[in-house]
Amino acid sequence: MTQRISIDPITRLEGHGKIEIFLNEQGNVANTYFQIPELRGFERFVIGRPIEEMPLLTNRICGVCPEAHHMAAAKAADAVYHVDPPRTAKMLRELLYSAFYCTDHTTHFYALGGPDFVMGPDAPVAERNILGVIHKVGLEIGGKVIQMRRYGHTVVEMIGGRKIHPCTSIPGGITKGITEKQRKEIEEMGRWAVEFAQFSLKLFNDIVLGNKGYLDLILGDVYTHRTYYMGLVDANNKVNFYDGKVRVVDPNGKEFCTYAPNEYMNHIAEHVEPWTYLKFPYLKNVGWKGFVDGIDSGIYMATPLSRLNASDGMATPLAQEQYEKFYATLGSKPVHQRLATHWARLIELLYAAERWVELVTDPEIASPDVHTKPTQTPTEGIGIVEAPRGTLTHHYWTDERGIVTKANLIVGTTNNYAPIQMSTKKAAQSLIHNGNVNEGLLNMVEMAFRAYDPCFGCATHSLPGQMPLEITVRDADGNPLEVLKQFC
Amino acid sequence: MKTIIIGLGNPILGDDGVGWKVAEEIERQLPQIRSDEGEQVDVVYLSLGGLGLMEHLIGYDRAILIDAFATNDQPGSILIMKLNELPNYSAYHTTSAHDTSLQDAIEFGKSMGAKLPEDVEVVGITTVRVHDFCEALSPPVADVVSFAARIVLDLLQQIPIHHKEQFV
Repeated sequence: MTQRISIDPITRLEGHGKIEIFLNEQGNVANTYFQIPELRGFERFVIGRPIEEMPLLTNRICGVCPEAHHMAAAKAADAVYHVDPPRTAKMLRELLYSAFYCTDHTTHFYALGGPDFVMGPDAPVAERNILGVIHKVGLEIGGKVIQMRRYGHTVVEMIGGRKIHPCTSIPGGITKGITEKQRKEIEEMGRWAVEFAQFSLKLFNDIVLGNKGYLDLILGDVYTHRTYYMGLVDANNKVNFYDGKVRVVDPNGKEFCTYAPNEYMNHIAEHVEPWTYLKFPYLKNVGWKGFVDGIDSGIYMATPLSRLNASDGMATPLAQEQYEKFYATLGSKPVHQRLATHWARLIELLYAAERWVELVTDPEIASPDVHTKPTQTPTEGIGIVEAPRGTLTHHYWTDERGIVTKANLIVGTTNNYAPIQMSTKKAAQSLIHNGNVNEGLLNMVEMAFRAYDPCFGCATHSLPGQMPLEITVRDADGNPLEVLKQFC
Repeated sequence: MKTIIIGLGNPILGDDGVGWKVAEEIERQLPQIRSDEGEQVDVVYLSLGGLGLMEHLIGYDRAILIDAFATNDQPGSILIMKLNELPNYSAYHTTSAHDTSLQDAIEFGKSMGAKLPEDVEVVGITTVRVHDFCEALSPPVADVVSFAARIVLDLLQQIPIHHKEQFV
């Protein structure tokens, strides 16, 4: 007897990207709704637990970037205890974080964002994946991707104690330093990572920038929104992933505000829509004006492209050269075209690799002074880092024993929920006319949200391990006209 | 022969953590059951997919994955299948949010010369609640943890098909 087993991806954990498109009476797009399931209750779950547990517990929020949650929670825990970790501890955390960035950005470019360009957006869907890339460009690339990931994991394990879900950051610093032998190994791997990042940028240059069709696609109007941009910057307003102040520029590139992590509540508010559990953060001092762009709308974006737009440059020399080329080629700053995020991500990859080498060659990096013992009564603290997918904020309140009484988290992708909503609508508008749904709709929508690399489900660990997409097009009366899925 | 048993899931996300619970049970029973010389069985706990999961399979002859599944079956139902019987979404439009599918990751790894298991079996447990942070499993899912562990241990005793063919 044959038994048919139906595995329903609609309820998979990773998040089912469900898009409802409503048409008006003329058959053109009236509105779109991009809904995703939210993981609920984390902020309640942590109440009653010691603040020291947060760096361990929060890296379980997300299967993709546990390192980001580990760092944000550790920084918040430092703040809760009013303790400033030694310089070496901060550098080791940032070194781990730089290696993690190299791994994450590499995976995104070669496995996700890159295939659309390397294979071409019109290539058969079955070829637009990492296998297609290595078949087209060569096995050598695959080997480099694996090597980059291995090096990244190795550094995370050396400093963080485990390959994934690091466990060494504690209030006041880090539990262990590195030996001189480890330092040398990490330096060697970092120098290789710089070469790999340069190779990746050259690949992008040859394949994408050398092709007028791709450049036109990047610069086209479909993926363009004039929003505010957010990113963490150092004291010189250069991009930093681990520490600094949050800087926001307006759609004309003018600085709108720069704030310390503990001031975030003065600047960010969250808008609620009745059709989704997820909230839409916006700039409080501009205001919520709906899903529109422009200088009067408080919608902002927090992605690799945003970080470049919100800064005055990169803090390392090779990445700075690429930063200058980026804006010279695209013609203006800020760059509003969302597909340019893929290029920005590679510039960040180079910065992360250079920063890795910079940190590991610092004379104090192998110092045993890696922890400052907390002595003050714990109260409240905020930690902000740049997760690969956007600015990540952890905020905890504790009692005098350090037991969490309240928590608030704004995760990377949440910042971009409103811009993704707008990109989805614009892609739909460009492909649906008078009730005719262009078959390229799924692909255009997919390219829109891939640029943001959304992390809604915050867990890609389970099988089948994918994020299915379903689009329903409805007429003016709400009746479904067409349902598109990426698997049939 | 080297075998890896992987409990997949998020241990603080309700029923999504069932893969870990089953793996814990297997680890408890394993020493009493396996004593063959030359056999190596590793039990690990992961919250990964795609390339990251593939990298953990390198060097093994056989892998058994235990994971939470969302199916139309009764909560607590146990599904046993080969990885290649699962849909490979990355062949279609929207692939993973952050990674490639495990099937493609394995093909990618093999094309890079990595030693990867020919045989990947998946034991899935149908869940009730996977969107709420919680350390406990729902009762129908908790009830089948021991049974699922038993199934994996039984699978472990069987020689995978491709090895049988090699011996013919």
